[in-house]
Formats: sequence, C-alpha cells, structure tokens
Amino acid sequence: MRWLRFTLLLLFIAVLQSSTVMNIFALTDRHIKPNIFLILLVYFAINCDSYNAIITSFALGFAADLAGSVMGPHIISYGLTGVAVAYVRNIILMKKTGQQAAAIFAAGIFVELIAVLLTGFKASGLAKADGMEIFAVAVYSAILWFMLKWPLTAAGKWTGAGIFHFGARQAGR
Amino acid sequence: MAVWPMARMRFKPSKLTLFISLTLLGFIFLLTPQNVTSRLNFAFISIFRFFLNVGSSAVYYQQTENSKASPYFVPRHEYDKLWVAFTNLQSQIGEQKKQIEELGKVRMTEPDPATGLVLAKVVNRRKQEFIINKGTDDGLVNGQYVLGDNAVIGIITQASADISSVRLITSSACKLAVKISAPDAEVYFNGTIAGDDKNGAKIPNVPKKYDIKEGYYVYAAATPGFLQSPRIIGRVSKCVADQSNPVLWEIDIAPAYNFDNLTDVAVIVLKTGIN
Repeated sequence: MRWLRFTLLLLFIAVLQSSTVMNIFALTDRHIKPNIFLILLVYFAINCDSYNAIITSFALGFAADLAGSVMGPHIISYGLTGVAVAYVRNIILMKKTGQQAAAIFAAGIFVELIAVLLTGFKASGLAKADGMEIFAVAVYSAILWFMLKWPLTAAGKWTGAGIFHFGARQAGR
Repeated sequence: MAVWPMARMRFKPSKLTLFISLTLLGFIFLLTPQNVTSRLNFAFISIFRFFLNVGSSAVYYQQTENSKASPYFVPRHEYDKLWVAFTNLQSQIGEQKKQIEELGKVRMTEPDPATGLVLAKVVNRRKQEFIINKGTDDGLVNGQYVLGDNAVIGIITQASADISSVRLITSSACKLAVKISAPDAEVYFNGTIAGDDKNGAKIPNVPKKYDIKEGYYVYAAATPGFLQSPRIIGRVSKCVADQSNPVLWEIDIAPAYNFDNLTDVAVIVLKTGIN
C-alpha cells in the first residue's frame, strides 16, 4: 500500500462526501445520498491483505467521523465491519460485482446500526435511528457500486490496493 | 558482539495487536467529551470550507442572475424575504402595538436594544444542519436562535472558537417553543415544534379544541435570554385530525425559507449576557 496516496484519497472522499456536490445525488425529500466511504470500505477489505484491511477500515471510519459530527462511532463500526468483510473474503472470494454490491449493502446496514448505537451513547441528541434511511443508503451505495466500480478500482490501484496478489508482497518482505 | 541492524528494524505489530489498538483508539475518541472531539470536526470544516461549499453558492447566484432576465419577475427567495419581513412586523404589532413603521424600515433588526445580531456565512451544509463561520469568539453559545433573513431557521447546537453548528428546524433533534397565530381571532396557540427530518416540521399534541387552520403563521415564542419577541418560523401547511388520537391535531409546518438558498445567516446574541 502507498499510504500517502491512500491518505490523499481519504481526504478527497471526506471532502466530497460532506460537500454540497453530493446533493446532486440526493434522492427523495429525505435527501438519501450514497456513502462512498462504505463502498471504499468493502473495496479495500476485499482487495487488501487482512493486515492492510484492518488499517484501511479504521482509517475510513476515522475519515467518516471527521466528515460527520461525532468522533468515535464510525471508527469502531467501520473497523469491525471492514475486518469482518476481510475475513469473509477468505471464505468467499467476492470477485463478482454483484457479490461485492451485496457485501456493500450488508456492510452498510451493519456499519450504521453500530454507529447509531454508539452515537446515542456519546451524544444522544445527534443520534437518529431511522431504519428506512439506513436501508435506503445501503441500497443506493450498493447500486452505485455498479457505476463507480471502474473509477474507484482505478483510485484503489493508485493507492496500491489489489496489485500485489498471489504472493508477490510476501516474497518482497 | 552482535550489532543490531537498527536502520532495518521496523515496528510491525501483529494483526490482533493492531486490531485491538485501533479499536481502543476508537473507544478513546468515543469516550472523549463531544465538546473536545467536535474541535476535530470543526477543524476539518475550517480547513476545507471552500471546497465543502462549492455548488450551493453557485445555485444561489445562478437563480439570482436568472431573475434579472425579467423586470416583472420576483425570485422565490426575494418573495420569501419580503413575506418574512411582513409577518414579523405583524407579530410585533400584536406584541407591542407601536413603532411598526420604524421597524419596517430597518431590515434585520431586533426591537430590543439589548439584542444584537452576529452575521455569519454558511460554510457547510449537512443533513438538517448548517456549519457557520462564527463561534464563541463572537459571543455564540448553544441554544441561541439563528435567523435566515429574519425568519428563525434553527438553533446553535455546538460552538467552537470560530465555527458553529446550527441544527435546523427541519431536524427532529431541534425542538422549539412556538406560537401559532390565529389572525381572525387575534389569539396565539402555544406548542412545541420538531422537525420531520425531511423538509418541514410538525407541532404535536395540540388539542383539537383550538381552531387552527392551514395558512396560519407559526412564530418562535419569546424565550428569556435567547429571543426577545416572537419571530416567524413558517406557516401551517396541513392541519388534520390526528389518526392515532382524534382529540389532537396533526399539524405540518412549511418553513418560511428554502434553506438551500441561504448563504448568510444571523445569530441572535443578547448583549446583556443573560444566558
């Protein structure tokens, strides 16, 4: 992994996710927007080795918290979910786009449920448990993966994820 | 004597150690008080404020420019501004019965000399939340009312030295005491407004014995230390019998403004320091 590039990508996504540009993608009067952090979480969990997947998951959670209002809930929820996806990847390869989209949907539900719970623990006034919205964001993000797969894969490869497979990295150590 | 190759040594914890350490770090952030960790959020916004607000200002000015095409066309935000000014003046007539002409000349002024306004720019728009570029250095504290062209649009929920977070009235987390004006009877009905997490708000638990109709104006009630006189919030957009409790009204409120058009806001700050 090229960690400097990964950090730059993270910052770019954090700014993009919390910017008004994302309103272009907002649906319905509930302003449902896709969660790019979520898509990246699953991408890196699938395409990195489990060691790097742990770091990227927590880093994405940190960025999601930074772009949000409360620090802490997403670090934990992204960390746990990313690690879980990375270990599931050892059993199911998840090479097909449909499988990856399903993983994004499942991760989206899991991440936000934990985050809402933890946000309520820290700042109850800022926690909003809207099950419909959590579901809608997860579905939207999963669908968007079909369209964003190429640019995000390119961005991921730029950071060094998904390149050194089949023992190349281990041989280099 | 063995020489350790120091330059080649790299600290690399095991996966389990790494996972536990990062989880603990997450819990440290979680357990640190919100007023401390919110500084990180505000610092992020402060650094990237230009990029975060790209797009919204463009929409606003694009609409303004389009409105110049015809001299007979009044833009929506201009109409809203005039309507809000009008309803605020109506409220002041009801409250004070005096000096309406003087107040009508002065845009964005409070009737009480103890009240000041801190003007701020919206640097980021989140869901049901604005981030503004003024903070405790300018006298902002939690609970203060925020105006968008004279109408109450929300309250301050978090404030750092130079940046603050405004919870909009469309958020269910924003609850304010309000008065519903019945102009035909010249009375006010009290209630508490809470956002519907969409584009409007609701006033629950209003008894049906009150004669409330669609189109009635809703004002933020005067609150000691925060608001000296009622200020317009919006109007009743729907008023029907509550299906779950027929003795109550189900009242929907349409805010006075489309928040997407707001680029500047004003925070009501009492100079006397009552709060």
